[in-house]
Amino acid sequence: MTAQFWPSHVVMEVRNASKTYLSGANEVRALTDMTLALKSGELTGIVGPSGSGKTTFLMIAGLLEPPTNGTVHFRDQPIANAATRLNNLRDFRRTHVGFIFQKANLIPFLTAVENVQIALEINDVRPKQAKARARELLAQFGLDHRENNYPSQLSGGEQQRVSIARALANDPVMLLADEPTAALDGSRGRQVMEVFRTLADVHRVAVCVVTHDPRWSDIFDRIVEMSDGRVVEVRPGGAMKARLQV
Amino acid sequence: MNIALKDMRFSMLRFALTAVGIGLLLGATMGMIGLYRGIVHEALLIINDVGADLWVVEGGRSGPFAETSAVPSSLDRRVEGVPGVAATRRFIQYNQQYDINGKSVRLAVTGIDYPKDSGSWIPLIDGRLFRSTRYEAIADQTTGLLVGDVIRLGHDDYTVVGLTKGQVDMGGDGMFFVTIPDSQAINRVLPSEAILLNRVAKGRSRMGLGDGGALAAVMVELKPNADPQLVKAQIKAWGDVEVLTKEEERSMLLDGRLWRLRVQILAFTAMTLLVAGSIIALTIYMLTLEKINQIALLKLIGARDRVIIGLIVQQALWIAVLGFSVALLISFTIYPHFPRTVLLVSEDLAGIGGALLVISLGASWFAIRRAMKVRAQEVLA
Repeated sequence: MTAQFWPSHVVMEVRNASKTYLSGANEVRALTDMTLALKSGELTGIVGPSGSGKTTFLMIAGLLEPPTNGTVHFRDQPIANAATRLNNLRDFRRTHVGFIFQKANLIPFLTAVENVQIALEINDVRPKQAKARARELLAQFGLDHRENNYPSQLSGGEQQRVSIARALANDPVMLLADEPTAALDGSRGRQVMEVFRTLADVHRVAVCVVTHDPRWSDIFDRIVEMSDGRVVEVRPGGAMKARLQV
Repeated sequence: MNIALKDMRFSMLRFALTAVGIGLLLGATMGMIGLYRGIVHEALLIINDVGADLWVVEGGRSGPFAETSAVPSSLDRRVEGVPGVAATRRFIQYNQQYDINGKSVRLAVTGIDYPKDSGSWIPLIDGRLFRSTRYEAIADQTTGLLVGDVIRLGHDDYTVVGLTKGQVDMGGDGMFFVTIPDSQAINRVLPSEAILLNRVAKGRSRMGLGDGGALAAVMVELKPNADPQLVKAQIKAWGDVEVLTKEEERSMLLDGRLWRLRVQILAFTAMTLLVAGSIIALTIYMLTLEKINQIALLKLIGARDRVIIGLIVQQALWIAVLGFSVALLISFTIYPHFPRTVLLVSEDLAGIGGALLVISLGASWFAIRRAMKVRAQEVLA
């Protein structure tokens, strides 16, 4: 593990955010006055029981849901609040945020390379360059021999690596992952987590991973524990401790 | 990257089957419209092609097509003397079943007034027109006869000298053109029972006719500057005949004898169109619903609306184009083998194509509306 300290800056910050949903006639409070900043080069793990608001936080930070109260800041500039139409932030999402989910969510009728290429073409990269870049990314994840396979022909781990390659295609400054290892066995899950570690360390991406799995605490820089829609504890993760020890 | 085509290529069999299904539906619609056109075409064939301006038929009747008609065989000479008349031709048509080469064949025996009428208006595909006043015939190919065939009708043998195509009466029986004397001779051969009945009928007939010597009508060609209404009035004033213009003959058939059939076919056509339209619209909408997750994912990775709209509209149009092509293929390969004429008119085909385009775009619009409501976070659902 690297012992270097890099200067970090806040990429995205959710400030005093609350989120309330209506479930029939009942109001469900998913997030209560939460403030959390995601920094470049930092791998943050968000842990907590089901229904603690982890995914809701990810949605708000990823500009997929507006907060009911509070604001979202990008590099200290307010970018979203309760009144924001998030559809209008699609361009911003495309160029700044990468998403990874429990399921790889690949487009079934596109090959591995096309699944990555589409993310680039949507960002107006010419098809030829997009294909070359997609191949390069797949090669980085050891999938160069699988680039022409359809998702149904790939293993779960391979699918997840393709989805990571797609998330990184447009060089996002922030990567949000929701239970990315839940569908993988231990060794494949660790491979994926190590990819995140590298992204934070080498590419200075702000990586935020929501997980139930306690095995990855050694990989995180910071662990945010949530319960009932609130942050109950923020503690250094194994990676941070290792750095401090060095 | 064209994701619409990628999806279609990936699910090629499914898209192909969808296109074939839509093609069959459209093909059925084309067939219904073609059948309607065919029936009208066949019914009006002689009226349109024979070149008669007026038809002189039995008094008080709307013959010779919408109703039966019998006029004396010398009526044409009377009509020839009317001012404004350029030429007259005698006309006979009746249907009978004959055994030809051991097979029962229904023929629409049609008398041609040779040599006044050489039958030049009959489109030949083989052989020649009449050269003799007796024992020659021109047959429609649906009769199964060939040039050179000799068949016995009544007491005489007739040689097929010409073969034509698409010449059938409104019942679909192939026409068998012979000269007027031959048509009268063939019709005169009846079983003894029928002869007795005809004798009784002859006494009761308004024209005092009933045997095989009568004509069905006299066709009149007018001089270039003659007033049809004036000529018609002059002939009608005789009192024993009825005179119908070409337009009236058409109207008698279409709005009289064929009215119910036409309405029925048009009603079926409308139903087929409605069913085809609904299924096409539903198919396109369902294709979008199946892709909700992928649409949400495209939105999540930042795809603009035009990418998603392009996916839906392109697939709808591809299905429409492929379905229409299949329908055309079916129509032009299968329908010519149908026993009745299925007349595919380019205007009708263009109309169906236009309707399909509107249906496809309409269905796309509903599908796009649904797709636009999809939220990126539905990927997680």
